[in-house]
Amino acid sequence: MIPTNDYLAAAAALFVIGVIGFLMRRNPITMLMAIELMWNAGNLVFAAFARNFVDMSGQIFVFIVITVAAAEAAIALAIVVMVFRRRREVDVDDVSMLRG
Amino acid sequence: MDKFLATVPFTILFLPLFGAIVIAFVGPRVHRAGAAIIGNLSIFGAFVLTAMLAYTVWQMPATQQAFTVKYPPAWAAHPAFWAHIPPLTISFELRIDPLALVWMLIVTGVGFLIHLYSVGYMAESRWYRTFFAYMNVFVFAMLMLVMAGNFLWLLVGWGGVGLASYLLIGFDSNRIAAVAAARKALIMNVIGDVGIMLAIFIMFAHFGSLSYKVVFANITSASTNTLDWIGIWLLLGAVAKSAQLPLHTWLPDAMEGPTPVSALIHAATMVTAGVYLVARAHPIYDHAPAAAMAVAVVGCASAVFAATVGMAQYDIKRVLAYSTMSQIGYMVLAVGVGAYAAGTFHFVTHAFFKALLFMAAGIIIHNLGGEQDIRKMGGLARRMPLAFWTFLVGTLAIAGIFPFAGFFSKDAILDQLLALHHPILWAFATATALLTAYYMFRLLFMTFFTGEYRGDYEPHTASARTMVVPTVILAGLATVGGFLVLPGRDEISHALQGAFTDRGTLPTIGEINWLVSGVTTLAALAGIAGAYWLYERAPELRARLRNAFAPVHRLLANAYYVDAIYHWIFEVPVLTFASDVAKYIDPEGVGGFSAGLARATSGIGEAMRGWETGYLRRYGLTMVIGMVLVLAYYLFVVHAGTSIGMR
Repeated sequence: MIPTNDYLAAAAALFVIGVIGFLMRRNPITMLMAIELMWNAGNLVFAAFARNFVDMSGQIFVFIVITVAAAEAAIALAIVVMVFRRRREVDVDDVSMLRG
Repeated sequence: MDKFLATVPFTILFLPLFGAIVIAFVGPRVHRAGAAIIGNLSIFGAFVLTAMLAYTVWQMPATQQAFTVKYPPAWAAHPAFWAHIPPLTISFELRIDPLALVWMLIVTGVGFLIHLYSVGYMAESRWYRTFFAYMNVFVFAMLMLVMAGNFLWLLVGWGGVGLASYLLIGFDSNRIAAVAAARKALIMNVIGDVGIMLAIFIMFAHFGSLSYKVVFANITSASTNTLDWIGIWLLLGAVAKSAQLPLHTWLPDAMEGPTPVSALIHAATMVTAGVYLVARAHPIYDHAPAAAMAVAVVGCASAVFAATVGMAQYDIKRVLAYSTMSQIGYMVLAVGVGAYAAGTFHFVTHAFFKALLFMAAGIIIHNLGGEQDIRKMGGLARRMPLAFWTFLVGTLAIAGIFPFAGFFSKDAILDQLLALHHPILWAFATATALLTAYYMFRLLFMTFFTGEYRGDYEPHTASARTMVVPTVILAGLATVGGFLVLPGRDEISHALQGAFTDRGTLPTIGEINWLVSGVTTLAALAGIAGAYWLYERAPELRARLRNAFAPVHRLLANAYYVDAIYHWIFEVPVLTFASDVAKYIDPEGVGGFSAGLARATSGIGEAMRGWETGYLRRYGLTMVIGMVLVLAYYLFVVHAGTSIGMR
């Protein structure tokens, strides 16, 4: 049986890759994919602990996270599409009209 | 209790209010006369019902004549509907007893006659409907006051009549003087309201209830000191409402209101509320001798004070206002020494003759185009015979000449003063009787005789029938009203017995006492003779006397400068303080604080706007750093050294 710590290590690696992707890339689509990686790192931790403690709550929570992630992706893509229609480009560093 | 007794009090109470609401909301749709008809009918209906109720109650034995009704019966005790602050529950209860009935009869009866009179008097007013609505509200509030079954509902009525009085004094809101007088009346009456509130607080602390029934049944459980304080605070309320010393200055100014208002509110009914309050709270005063003595002394001092001031006034309504204050002083004096029947009797006759005097004066003022200065009248006896004869009846009644109403009631008070061993108060009261006769006949002579008419305005002589009829009816009542009490046939004490069962049998008033009657009559005749001599026979002597006693005359003409004293003691400091606050504290303090608040807010915003760069990835980095810090805190500080079972 694979020890729980291995799952946690894999999840941490996934999460760090997601963070780096989110901070480094300027294309919003890629950034969304990085965010997906972070969500799923979290999911993996939930599932791993659910197995570790033999408690189904963690698995149930994974389903909720997946639902929320889907909703978030839908809204974010809609925003990206709207920005693209207005400006013909979607570089996030150029979209900074809301600065104080 | 049978259905009639349980329901009729509420009908009586709310009929005038209902009339007011109809006039107010249907007003613009009904004809001008509609307001007058609704107003008059609602008050007349209340009077008829009151008469029926009174007849029923007075058929019952004296011990059952006082009863309490709650409405609506099923709701009355329910805490959801009425104030319920444990242990205090205040339900909507009315107390009907002979004392309340006497007041209800006068309020609705004389009130109806004055409503009728207003139809003619206010005919030219633009705000005809408003006037009748206000008058109805007043009658409602006054009925609430006298029918209340506990002190809180009494206070509701007490405040209500103050409000109605305020609205009606300032009715002619185009005149600064009327508005100022209305404000003055309201402020002074609120001082009295506070007094009653303080009395209510003490009563609640000691009896845990405000109901007359409970408070009066447990009266002996409170110490004399407590009862004295309750009595003193109630007296403050009575003094303000009844225009007694030292809160009397609003009443002469209140004459700025239309004359029917002066007749109804500031002569016949509202200003006697103080007398009612003391009579109503008689178990308290019976056990609080010091407070009762204070009541008597205040009443006596007011009677003398007002009578002296009345001698030097030139405004016909102001003279009548001071005479009202003086006559109410008699009533307060009477209830203060415990002569409740005599005080109530004087209230009844006074309502007749004082309303009559105001109505007759109103006819004169109406026919002279609003003139109130008696120096511009004179010789009106031939021009306005009806006003003259009715005014004469009222004057004879107030002066206490046999057989007019005032003779019997004033005599009853003076007789009781001696019978209850108050010779000093009796002497002052008798002296007041002399002064009363003098200043009232001075008013009569200056208005109707003293040579020819002195005004510029060509007087009308015709009067509306709605003004004449009630005046004549009241003249009749002022003539025969005194026969309620005759030697051996004392209807007033007999009727009131049911409200005073705790005092045993009331002493009979109206027995012949030749000493008192003789001295009083001689005093009154001396006053009349003095007025006749100075104003008809020897005007040059009058002028000489006035010059010889010029300072005294000035003092009286200015009502002992009480208004000026109050102005310097109360108004000037408060107004100076207020204007200083407006000039310095308001802009610098309050304004500075809010301006500083605004500056601080925009400054913080200015400093923080730099954080909003608009770069999504910088926000992301900030979030990550924060997340790492929180995580580190939990890992290395909160849960440092703990472990969970890992497989």
